Amino acid sequence: MYVYRCEDTQESIFTAIYNVYEEHRQREEVRLEITDEPLLFAEDIFVETDYAKAGRVAETIIRRFGRQDCHSISYALAADNPDKAQAVYRVIMMGLKENVRHGHLLDNLADDNVRLVFSLAGYTGREYDHLRGFMRFEELENGALYARFAPRSNLLPFLMGHFADRLPAENFVIYDEKRKCMGVHKAGCIQWYLMMCDENTGEPIEHNRLKLSEGEEEYSELFKWFCEKIAVRERRSLSLQRKMLPLRFRGYMTEFGNN
Amino acid sequence: MEFLTAGQDMPLMDKLAILTGAAKYDVACTSSGVDRRGSGSSVGSCVASGICHSFSSDGRCISLLKILMTNECIYDCKYCINRRSNDTLRTIFTPDEICTLTMEFYRRNYIEGLFLSSGIVNSPTYTMELIFRTLFLLRRKYRFNGYIHVKAIPGAAPELIRQTGFLADRMSCNLELPTADGLKALAPNKHRKSILTPMRQIQEEIHSNRNELVLYRNAPKFVAGGQSTQMIVGATGESDYQIMSVAQGLYERFELKRVFYSAFVRVNDDKNLPVLPGGPPLMREHRLYQADWLLRFYGFKAEELLSEDRPFFNVLLDPKEDWAVRHLEQFPVEINSASYDMLLRVPGIGVNSARRIVAARRSGRLNFDNLRKMGIVLKRALYFITCSGKMMYNTKLDEDYIVRRLTESKDRIRLGSDAMTFRQMSLFDDGAFQADVKQEEKIHTVVGEV
Repeated sequence: MYVYRCEDTQESIFTAIYNVYEEHRQREEVRLEITDEPLLFAEDIFVETDYAKAGRVAETIIRRFGRQDCHSISYALAADNPDKAQAVYRVIMMGLKENVRHGHLLDNLADDNVRLVFSLAGYTGREYDHLRGFMRFEELENGALYARFAPRSNLLPFLMGHFADRLPAENFVIYDEKRKCMGVHKAGCIQWYLMMCDENTGEPIEHNRLKLSEGEEEYSELFKWFCEKIAVRERRSLSLQRKMLPLRFRGYMTEFGNN
Repeated sequence: MEFLTAGQDMPLMDKLAILTGAAKYDVACTSSGVDRRGSGSSVGSCVASGICHSFSSDGRCISLLKILMTNECIYDCKYCINRRSNDTLRTIFTPDEICTLTMEFYRRNYIEGLFLSSGIVNSPTYTMELIFRTLFLLRRKYRFNGYIHVKAIPGAAPELIRQTGFLADRMSCNLELPTADGLKALAPNKHRKSILTPMRQIQEEIHSNRNELVLYRNAPKFVAGGQSTQMIVGATGESDYQIMSVAQGLYERFELKRVFYSAFVRVNDDKNLPVLPGGPPLMREHRLYQADWLLRFYGFKAEELLSEDRPFFNVLLDPKEDWAVRHLEQFPVEINSASYDMLLRVPGIGVNSARRIVAARRSGRLNFDNLRKMGIVLKRALYFITCSGKMMYNTKLDEDYIVRRLTESKDRIRLGSDAMTFRQMSLFDDGAFQADVKQEEKIHTVVGEV
């Protein structure tokens, strides 16, 4: 048994898949791990992330299975689950062997690995759909926008793409408190950047010391007011509200008064 | 606009409160139907599935900045909070105020766009022009590229409706009440014909715009997200069957994207309005939405679900279960061979589940364990399906039996026994009606999930 130890990133896991293929391992004798958990009678192989190799794997996935399935795999790898690397590896191998058609990689839900990848992709997708709406920006003194959040899946890259497309003329920063990384977008640029913060340096952004712009309070008050006034008293149902908007998101949302 | 000057210099906060409060009874708050990427220079984009930005304390989604231009109105519709005879504070937004609010809210990701409706000032055409001016400013001066839902005012000049349509993503024209009689009773100034005229106009414009887009790819799009309408449920005596038939007619003949149902809320004291001691008929609204889904995505017809003899939906069973127990001759359905259309008709199997089943059974035979893991609601489906010729449990294909099982609060069925129990009959025994409807209402009131 060979255990390929990778980091919890898509690039690292793709590199591992490339290495497994390059070293002609049998499917059954390989396991991809993102945790440090030791395995008995297994040889550890540490994977060094190689962006060229990861790119080759991504290209192959797109060519053989289509963009949609590649997207699903990216979502699955963004999820917070210790078994995702192994499941994705097995699903890709299965797909290559059986030569599945475009868009049909995740059809066979009776298979455990396929189902895990499918459900992880679905979970991440749903959280992405939520956060596209629930994210809240604040305007800082210099006119830049700032948002913070702590998603379960690593959604920052996906959300940066969404907001860079939506607000091209804004300088904005999104900070992931859970993973201590941030996305930065400069006004007028198509590109955006991810910055990983070192764990030793402490909090990179001290939220309480940020100075908000003059108009910020006015508009956040107006929006709170709007949310209160739009509710129909006769239909009041806090349980339904909680079902549609779980409490874990509310800590970062303007209208719930915690921002 | 002399008569409006009083309300114009009010603080923005108060205006927002009044004009939001006046708009909240409109249920359409979707931002769906249009997929438009950012243009790189303007502000905003649209996503086909729509995005919910928040949920208010009634559990309804907040997607758009839903406001009225003004709550001034020359009409006197009995159910409406803004009717002429109500003594409320009146005010009006200036186009610039609406634009600034929309832009600042949008930047902070509070909203997905603007929903602009209005009371009627002076005349329908005058009001429509105000709306058009606002939209023009928002799109051209403020370069807003997000979602805009706007009302077509019945009776306004067709050219204005047309020009507004080129700026909006969705237009709607509220039918308000399902029948012409209801409209006559409660909205004396509105006529069914004047409501259907702009609806037809928008439909025809969408068609001709589609042809234009074939020729010129960059021709401006007219109401890309289609049009919708809304009906009030429970204000007049229409049956569910009438409402569903009207909805079906609208989908078929007017090609509407959505019909919304709004449980009547008694905001005015008027002798012509019904008194609803139990609050708005939310359960009825919920059943109508379920049936609406069956019309649009499941291939059902209104006549299949209801009839003149049974004009109301069952409170205890959802419309699909209700249909299935009355058509047991078509069941059980074999999961491994049934057509997609037939799978869709099984209670507990939705569009997604049916697609997954059809995709997964290409790779091998499915059993009940597979189905459960794929997310099929076996609790409801098990009475109607077989896997490789076998049912999940030893159940009967009998209407009374299945109805009793489906409406039971706890799933007591066990493998190998039919779980029939005997009990003393009493004078007040009415079988299924003992279930706690209130609780069901609480759980199922997925209203305004739009």
